[in-house]
Amino acid sequence: MGARAGLAAILLAATLLSLSGCSQWHYSMGSPLAQLDVPRAEDRTALGEVLARLGPPQRVSASVSGYLLAWEHWHVRENALGFSLGLKGTDVLAIDWGDLRYKGEYLLLSFDREHRLASVSQSAWDSHGGGGRAIQPLFSFVDVLDSDDLTGSMPQHRWGSDLMQRLPEALNRESSPDTGEAGLEQRGTPEALGQRSLEMR
Amino acid sequence: MKAFFPLPVMALALALLAGCAQYENKRGVEVSWQNSVTQGLTRGASTRKDVLDLLGPPSQVIALDDETALYYLFEHSRGEGLVLVVYNRMRIDTRYDRAIFFFDADDTLTDYSTRVYAHDE
Repeated sequence: MGARAGLAAILLAATLLSLSGCSQWHYSMGSPLAQLDVPRAEDRTALGEVLARLGPPQRVSASVSGYLLAWEHWHVRENALGFSLGLKGTDVLAIDWGDLRYKGEYLLLSFDREHRLASVSQSAWDSHGGGGRAIQPLFSFVDVLDSDDLTGSMPQHRWGSDLMQRLPEALNRESSPDTGEAGLEQRGTPEALGQRSLEMR
Repeated sequence: MKAFFPLPVMALALALLAGCAQYENKRGVEVSWQNSVTQGLTRGASTRKDVLDLLGPPSQVIALDDETALYYLFEHSRGEGLVLVVYNRMRIDTRYDRAIFFFDADDTLTDYSTRVYAHDE
């Protein structure tokens, strides 16, 4: 009788362990900008000197008046807690909770056509990026966290294939921030507005 | 004795279920812009052909009227995870090795900068 009770306790504990879990994902992209020696716009520093002080930027674009250079650092943190009665990969009464926070820094410098510093813009943020709760009786249709647009790879990797995209994106190439000739875009910028709206994603 | 029987077994079961994970992800142009390679470049003298011969095709080409810029990018992600079944943690660190070269209308190098992260940075 005692052995049976012990076995039942083990099975119960093992079942509970397999049904619930807590996950944390931390993403760090780039290096902190705090230690950078950022020049002042009024000094009209030469491009070569700025590159020597700050190193190569992470994003570059030509603009009507010259060049745009940007440096960035992101830290994204996902916390998720889940519980499901499903067995062998099925979802039965899945209960999920998730929370997303992101913080970062962004430094944008613009240069005129004479390669002189024209403007400096810097920002830092620590924000709640959303989250959710879900109770899904039979199937899990909804992910309560979505950080793909914040943690994706840099657009330079896709530059060579810009004209091989599906037609709405190829037709929008002149306005796409991925080309390096139509301005810059921060991570997480909504795609339904602005320069990407014609891409119909 | 009966009361303590499940605890060591449960601890053993947890130990058997626990694990760790590690992964590495690399994207972009293979890094060849170390200082030892680019120190032969001279502003006002080297040409776009010199840079392309040294480093190969870039990740991105940017044009501003007659000027051009070549941008090289290598993205390196490292992840480390702890899997304890009831608590799982993953940490992913991404670094960007990069280089940029500006050329004037005559394809002469005007400005450039490179950055390569050490493995332990």
